[in-house]
Amino acid sequence: MNGNRSLRTYDEINEKIRSKSVTVMTAEEFKAKVENEGLDKTAKEVDVITTGTFGAMCSSSVLLNFGHSDPPIKMQKIWLDDVPAYGGLAAVDVYLGATEMDESLNLFHGGAHVIEDLVRGKAIRLKAVAYGTDCYPRREIDTWISLETINQAVLLNPRNCYQNYAVATNSSDKTIYTYMGKLLPDYGNATYSSAGELSPLLNDPYYRTIGIGTRIFLGGDDGYVFWEGTQFNSKAPRSPNGIPKRPAGALAVIGDLKKMSLEFLRALTIHRYGTSLAVGIGIPVPILDLEMAKYCAVRDSEICTAVFDYSEQKRARTVLREVNYQELKSGQIEIKGKKVTTSSLSSMYKARQIADELKRRISKGSFLLQEPVQKFDLEREFKPLEIKTKEEVEK
Amino acid sequence: MNTKLVLTFPQIVVQEPITCSLVEIFHIKLNILRAQIDEKGGKIVLELTGTSDSIKKGIEYLKEKGVKVQPIEEGVRKDGEKCTECGACVSVCPVDALIFDRKTWKVIFDDQKCVVCGLCIDACPTTAMELLL
Repeated sequence: MNGNRSLRTYDEINEKIRSKSVTVMTAEEFKAKVENEGLDKTAKEVDVITTGTFGAMCSSSVLLNFGHSDPPIKMQKIWLDDVPAYGGLAAVDVYLGATEMDESLNLFHGGAHVIEDLVRGKAIRLKAVAYGTDCYPRREIDTWISLETINQAVLLNPRNCYQNYAVATNSSDKTIYTYMGKLLPDYGNATYSSAGELSPLLNDPYYRTIGIGTRIFLGGDDGYVFWEGTQFNSKAPRSPNGIPKRPAGALAVIGDLKKMSLEFLRALTIHRYGTSLAVGIGIPVPILDLEMAKYCAVRDSEICTAVFDYSEQKRARTVLREVNYQELKSGQIEIKGKKVTTSSLSSMYKARQIADELKRRISKGSFLLQEPVQKFDLEREFKPLEIKTKEEVEK
Repeated sequence: MNTKLVLTFPQIVVQEPITCSLVEIFHIKLNILRAQIDEKGGKIVLELTGTSDSIKKGIEYLKEKGVKVQPIEEGVRKDGEKCTECGACVSVCPVDALIFDRKTWKVIFDDQKCVVCGLCIDACPTTAMELLL
C-alpha cells in the first residue's frame, strides 16, 4: 500500500503490554469502532486486536513421550484405551491423531476422546507390544497413565484454523452424513464452519503478522504457529479486498497439552463420519499500519465463500452460489430459489470467549506478541493426488 | 389448549382405529410426531389441540381402551455442560425449537416448540442432545 506509514512496531506494542498501557480490542469491537469513528482515528488508538475461532479441526493430534519402564521397551504397536497409536519414532515417543478410530469401531470413541480424557485427568490404559532388543528387552506392557504421570504431552496439529471454509448442502433425496454435519435432503439445510469476521486469518489475509513463530492462544494456554498448515493454498481465489473466497491458508500449531483446558479443547463425534477434535485458537493481530487496520476492519458482509453440493461424491464439487457471512449468520440463504436454513459447526460463542480471554491476557500483561520468524509463501498451491503409474511419476 | 402425549398401545388394541376416534368423537386436532409399532405393541407421540374439556374426555377414552397415556414434560434434553454452542443442531430442527440467540450466539432450546422428532440427536457432535422417550 502506498503511503502505508508505520503506526507502531512489535517492540512498542510489547512495551505497552508490559507496562499495562496497551489498547487492545477484540476484532468485533475494533470493527464497530472503525464504523463509528473512522479508520484513521481507530488505527491510531488501537495497538492490537484479538481474534478467535473454535471448531472441528480434524488434523489435530498429540505427541506423547511416556518415559521409560523398567526394564525398558521399544514400543512397536501401541493402544491407548483401545485406540491404536503410532510408535515408529524411537522407543517411547508415540503419536495419536484425533480421527484415529477405536479398534472396536465404536464411532463414539477415537483419538480425540483419548486427548479429551487426558485433559480431563482421567486414567488411560496404555498397552504396547514389541519385538524386544538387547537394549529394550521388554516385549509387552499393560499399564495406566494420566496427563499428570506422563513425561510429555504436546498438542501438535498439522492443519488448524482454516482461512475461510466451504458451505455444505445436499441436493439429493437422502440425508447424508458428512464432516460438515448432517445434511438434509433436497437442500434441507446448509452448514458452514468459520467464525467469519472474528476468525484469525480473515483479519490478516496476506499473512503479514501470522507466520512461523507467532505466539497464539491454543486450547487455553500459549501455543505457537510452527509451520504453514497442510494443504496451505495461498493462491486460492480472492475477492478484490484480498480475502480468500475458498479454503486458503491454514496453520500448523503446537502447545503443551498439560496446560490446556476442556473449555477450549473437546472431542467430537460426527455421526457416520468419525471423531474429530474441536480446538479453540485465538491470535492477536497488531495494528502495525493503516493497511493492517483496513484488513482488520473487514465485516462479515465483505467475506465471501461458496456453497457446494456435498451429495456429489467427487473432488471438485459444483459451486451452487457464492454467499457472504452476514447472509450465513442471518440463519437463512437462498439456494436454487429455495429458502434454506443455515447453521454453523464452529461456535461463535466460544470464538468470542477466546477473543475476550486473549484480550484479558494481553491487558494484564501476561501475553506478549511474537513477530513471525518467517512469513508464509504467498505462491503456494494445493496439489491434488492423481492416480498415476510408476512410469508417469518417474517421467 | 395444546398438549403433547405419548400413547402406548398394548398389542391387543393396535388393530383398533383408536386415535381416529379422538377426531371423530371429541373433535380434537391431531398431529402425529412419532409412531412406532413392534411385536409388543405400539407407541405414538401426539400433539393434541382442542378445548380442555374435549382433551380431558379424549384422554379418559384412551385410558378406557387400555392405552397408556403419558404427558410429555421433557422429550429431548440439552446438556449445557456438553454443548459447545456450535449450532450443528440448529439447521436440522424443523420447528425452530433450536435457535441461535444472535446477540450471545448461544443455542437456545425451546422444549415447548420441540416435537421430539429426534433429528438433532445424531446431528450433535458432542452428544449433548438426548432423546428421553
